Amino acid sequence: MRAVPFENEQRVLGKDGGYRWFLVRYNPLLDERGRIDRWYVAATDIDDRKRAEAELKQTNLLLTASQRLSKTGSTITDLLADVHIWSEEVFRICDFDPTTKVTVQRFREIIHPDDRPLFEAALGRGMTGADVDFLYRIVTPRGAVKHVRGIARVMEHVAGRPLFIGALQDVTESKIAEEALNKARSELAHVARITTLNALTASIAHEINQPLASLITNASICLRRLNADPPNVDGARETVMRTIRDGNRASEVITRLRALYSKKEFAPEPLDLNEATREVIALSLSDLQRNRVILRSELADGLPLVTGDRIQLQEVILNLVRNASDAMGSVEDRPRELLIRTELESTDSVRLSVKDAGLGFAGEVADKLFQAFYTTKKDGMGIGLHVSQSIIEAHHGRLWATANEGPGATFSFAIPCRLEGLEDIQTRSDRTGAA
Amino acid sequence: MQGKSATVRPLLSVVDDDEMLRESLPDLLREVGFEARAFSSGHEFLSSEYLDETKCLILDVAMPGMSGLDLQEELKRRGQTIPIIFITGQKDEDIRKRGLRQGAVKFLYKPFSDNALLDAINEVLEHGGSEGQGHKRDAR
Repeated sequence: MRAVPFENEQRVLGKDGGYRWFLVRYNPLLDERGRIDRWYVAATDIDDRKRAEAELKQTNLLLTASQRLSKTGSTITDLLADVHIWSEEVFRICDFDPTTKVTVQRFREIIHPDDRPLFEAALGRGMTGADVDFLYRIVTPRGAVKHVRGIARVMEHVAGRPLFIGALQDVTESKIAEEALNKARSELAHVARITTLNALTASIAHEINQPLASLITNASICLRRLNADPPNVDGARETVMRTIRDGNRASEVITRLRALYSKKEFAPEPLDLNEATREVIALSLSDLQRNRVILRSELADGLPLVTGDRIQLQEVILNLVRNASDAMGSVEDRPRELLIRTELESTDSVRLSVKDAGLGFAGEVADKLFQAFYTTKKDGMGIGLHVSQSIIEAHHGRLWATANEGPGATFSFAIPCRLEGLEDIQTRSDRTGAA
Repeated sequence: MQGKSATVRPLLSVVDDDEMLRESLPDLLREVGFEARAFSSGHEFLSSEYLDETKCLILDVAMPGMSGLDLQEELKRRGQTIPIIFITGQKDEDIRKRGLRQGAVKFLYKPFSDNALLDAINEVLEHGGSEGQGHKRDAR
């Protein structure tokens, strides 16, 4: 044994039969000749610390494992000081070397060019203190495109600077699955439509062929009777009457079929306009992101319920959102911002507006916008706004457009809230009708 | 009409669930010199007294209850060899093939011309084993 102090972590059997970890320090006492005279031993109970260390190690292992399994990495970011703490998984997702010094610029480099505006907008939002939760794409240094979900919120402030806690999740797999699902869904809808159409055509053909068959038969009889020698005019007259009756039957069939396959009736019910709007937003999100449109929504809290046909109103909102997105299709020099707002229009009516940063419209065009078949789109059919206006008018509301102060336009509709509003107008018109 | 006046006019039976056709078809057939009767269903025809007399059956395919093909099968089962001309409003290739395979003479799609029907009937009566009597087509 060398005559130098040393220490050891070792387990010691206690009186209760259990082992505890001790840090044992050994100090030799040397005599005049440099030989070990005796050892001074000091033992410190480090069992609690050891246990805590073990737990920490296990927790860390679990955390890393769970992050890897869920493909979610965690981040702590001091944006203003450009200091970033990343968990192992974030490095792995981005395919960065773990020794990389992470900076905002470095991260910007791997963001998919089409999604850069989206990212910058999210950064901006985060700096104002709002929670951030959005989808975008990155392109790793090796060229792999990944769909990621970025979440961040302010955790605390340090020296006046906000500190963000966040996560980055690789959602590529589920994005691909979602897109495959959507594709399958629309193919299925298409097949269902075609199948229905075939069945429809067959049933219409069958319904019409019956009266037509007897119509032709009767007309043939008529001809033969007239050609008889002598002509059987009375008989011919009778068949002509039957022919007319058959013709009428055919037109009845058409009327019946038309009624059967026409649009559903107007079905108003109390509905939450914000909720309906959120559903439309959810539906349009991926289309909008594909068109690089940055969607913002400002849905007023405590908005009263409105009375309306949910599906029809959602059709209108979807139409306005799509138009806004299309209007910005050629915009390159500014963010393609789309703002959906709901607010109280008056004490008993509610307004929804869709504001875009697109090309806007000239004054002269303003009153043509809602006309049937008016369109500026190459392959547009021009029925969107016209139908939307009829729907809103059926709700006793109004739909209008205004040019923005900046670029683009805002399309808004306002509809009354309470059922009484609708009933009042109907009673009024009934009265005037009877007068 | 050819033949002796004492010759019995052949009986043609029409089975169709459509009332108007039951009215107009027999009229047309009588107009050209046939005897004709109409029935609203296969059951009605099977239980009538005219079953054995019928020289040719003009049969609708799509009928509630017993369809035209069902009636064809039933007649075959009973050993009846009445020639059948099918009339139908629906173009269904499978049904057509089946009907022809089971022995039908012709498949006509509604609306059919009177000449198409009369040609088919003549075909049945000339080649269907009876002393055929051609019936006049209109002079068009």
